[in-house]
Parts: sequence; C-alpha cells; structure tokens
Amino acid sequence: MKLRKVFTLVEETLEEGGEAVDPVARIAVVAAVIENPWAGKGFVEDLTPGIDSVAGELGLLLSARVAAALDAPIEAYGKAGIVGLNGEIEHASGLIHTLQFGNPFRDIASATTLLPAVEKRSGAGRGFDIPLKHITDMKLRSHHQTIEVSFADAPHADEILIALAAAAQGRPKQRLRTFGTDPGATV
Amino acid sequence: MKPTKSYAHLLTGLDGFNQTIEGQWGLRKIVVQQTETHSEGGSKLPKPITQVTALAVIQNPWIGHGTDCELINSPQRIAARLAKLLSERILAVTGGAGAIQAFGKGAIIGESGELEHGAAIIHTPYFASNLRSVFEGDAVISFADTRGPAGEILVVPLCEKRTGVVRDYYQTVRVSIPDAPRPEEIVLVAAASTGQRPFPRVGDRTTDRLIDTSLMNGATE
Repeated sequence: MKLRKVFTLVEETLEEGGEAVDPVARIAVVAAVIENPWAGKGFVEDLTPGIDSVAGELGLLLSARVAAALDAPIEAYGKAGIVGLNGEIEHASGLIHTLQFGNPFRDIASATTLLPAVEKRSGAGRGFDIPLKHITDMKLRSHHQTIEVSFADAPHADEILIALAAAAQGRPKQRLRTFGTDPGATV
Repeated sequence: MKPTKSYAHLLTGLDGFNQTIEGQWGLRKIVVQQTETHSEGGSKLPKPITQVTALAVIQNPWIGHGTDCELINSPQRIAARLAKLLSERILAVTGGAGAIQAFGKGAIIGESGELEHGAAIIHTPYFASNLRSVFEGDAVISFADTRGPAGEILVVPLCEKRTGVVRDYYQTVRVSIPDAPRPEEIVLVAAASTGQRPFPRVGDRTTDRLIDTSLMNGATE
C-alpha cells in the first residue's frame, strides 16, 4: 500500500438550535490517501487481487485511528471511498465493500450492522458527505446523521481516498419519533 | 455509554460579564484537523510531517454595535480564552510544544461582521502572545483572514516559530467548516506544523545570489 497522506478530523458541537449540547457531540473522521492499485492498468476485470493487497491493511489502520481520535465509545459509524479522476468508482467500492475492510471497524466498535457508505469519483479537495448510522440498529433514527468533509490536495487522479467516520452519539438535540411509531404507519 | 467530556463551561458567557459585549460570545463548534504527509513527489519522507489546525466557531459579540464600538478592551478575555482552547487542542495532537516548528493563525468572519472583528481577536497579545508562549516561539505569527459564507476556505500561512523568516518552513494549510461561519459568527484558527515543507530545496536568503531587476528584462517579449 502506497500511502501519501492521512487526515484526521474531530468535530465537536457544543450548541444546536441555541441550546447547549452537553455532553458535547463528537464525530471523528480519518482518511487515508493511497495510490490506486489499478492505476495505469486499463480495465482490470478481476479486482480481487488488488483488493486483497490493500483492504485489510486499510481497515486496520483507519479503524484504530478513528477510534483513538473519537476517544469515546462509538455509537454510529460510516465509511467513504473517493476515487481520483482517472479511476473507476468500482475501485473505491472494491476497497470499502469487503469484510477485510469493514470487520476491523466492527470489532473495535462492537458493531454488528453494515456500514453506510459514500462512493464517488472526484477531483482533489472536493467535499463529500459521509452518512453514519447506529452500530447495531440501522433503524435507530436518533443516530442517522451525516458529516461533510473535504481534504485539500486529495485524492489525485491516480489515487483513492478511503475514510472511516465514527460518532459518539446521535444527532445533537435529536427528538424524532422512533421508527415504527409514526401515526398511520405500517411497518 | 455516553462520553464523559463536557465543555459547558466554554459555551457560556464570561463570569460576571454576561451583560457586557465581551460576555456575549458563545462557542458552537470546535474542529481539530491534522494532516500527516508521508510522501511527496513519489518519494517517501524520512518521517511524516504533521500539520494541525484547531478551529473555534464563536458568536460575533460585536454584531449590531457599529464601527464606533471600541475593540481594545472587549476582545481581551475572549481572545485569551480562545488562545488557551485552541493551543491546548494542538498540543494534544503534537504531544507538546517541542514538536512544533512552525505556526500560523487566521479568522473567517461571517458576513454580518467586520474584518476588524477578526483582527480584534487574532492580532492582539491576548491571542497571539499566548499562542507564541504556549508554542514556545518568538516570531510574529503568520496569518490570513477573510469574510465569507459558511464553508468558506481559508488558506493559512505558517512560518518558523523562532525567527519566522526561514524559507524551508514557508507552508500553508487549508481550513473550512461546512456550516460555519453563520453571518453573525467568527471562525478562529490556530495552526502548527511539526516540520518543513516536504523535501525543501529552494535555498534561503543566505544562499541566494545577488540579483537585480535586469533578470526581468525581456520577460514580456
């Protein structure tokens, strides 16, 4: 794995709607920028050797980093794969939609659900939204949330940016009905 | 389990000053970002260089007070608090002031405020001297400021912390917060780097040969 940069971001929200958020709401994102394993190779039919060479290592690196950055029990999580302009979205998807990549994060977070994801192709430094959902119950509305990030100078055209996001809580000031309790709803 | 961290004491106005302008600030968000660079130009660095930025989103306490409002006394305690808050966040990442080699600062003022409101915080000893002291530097801290909408990008310049004018350390770091500043908010920025630019090799003022403007002759032809 050819690693160029690692970004770590921690966002703390202390106020929402004019009210104090206490304890403060924390979300952490860690992104690694690596060379696209398939750069310059044309259309590669079988992506599995490239995936197997990178995905597990990335999953271990990012999950350990994001758990340390959050510095609190993880309640919601998500992931991102942003491929540079010369690559295929399938390249980013290939790296993040694997058990090698996701299981280290699930292990650290004591999580059981699928990781919600964003996959896109983008120029360097563009913003993208990472969706997060609860780590054991994807229907838990209080924890549906999104963090927008952008990382300067990444990914280059022949690179892939892979990120994990972790939140210590649901949305600040969450107060929606729980899933299945909406009037007239049949689930 | 819930995280135990609580920063309620930072959100509120200053004790006993809630009826004054300086008591009317509020802290909405803190964002700390670090960028580790492991390679550049295809070459691996001997050790990664880390740039760290700490940003605070506060209520602009001078909104509605006009250009007659004094900006000498009212920023003092706000600026000092922000210096403490942001420098502590950066030190927590670098592991101490010893690892910091370059620093910078900045402000993004929301559209209802004046550029002078950002200057009132970052260009005072209460902010800058405190940062210098905590980061163990001596130089004037490089800065950038702008006024803009939420998500505005600010590119913050950094300089070497002891003497400032050391070319290998000239570098910048980009910051932005998607939902800040609101029109009546200010984003304050402190920045630090643990190293020089990757593979610096443009010399410095001691190695430059003497030149005059004749080198530019013919440049437009």
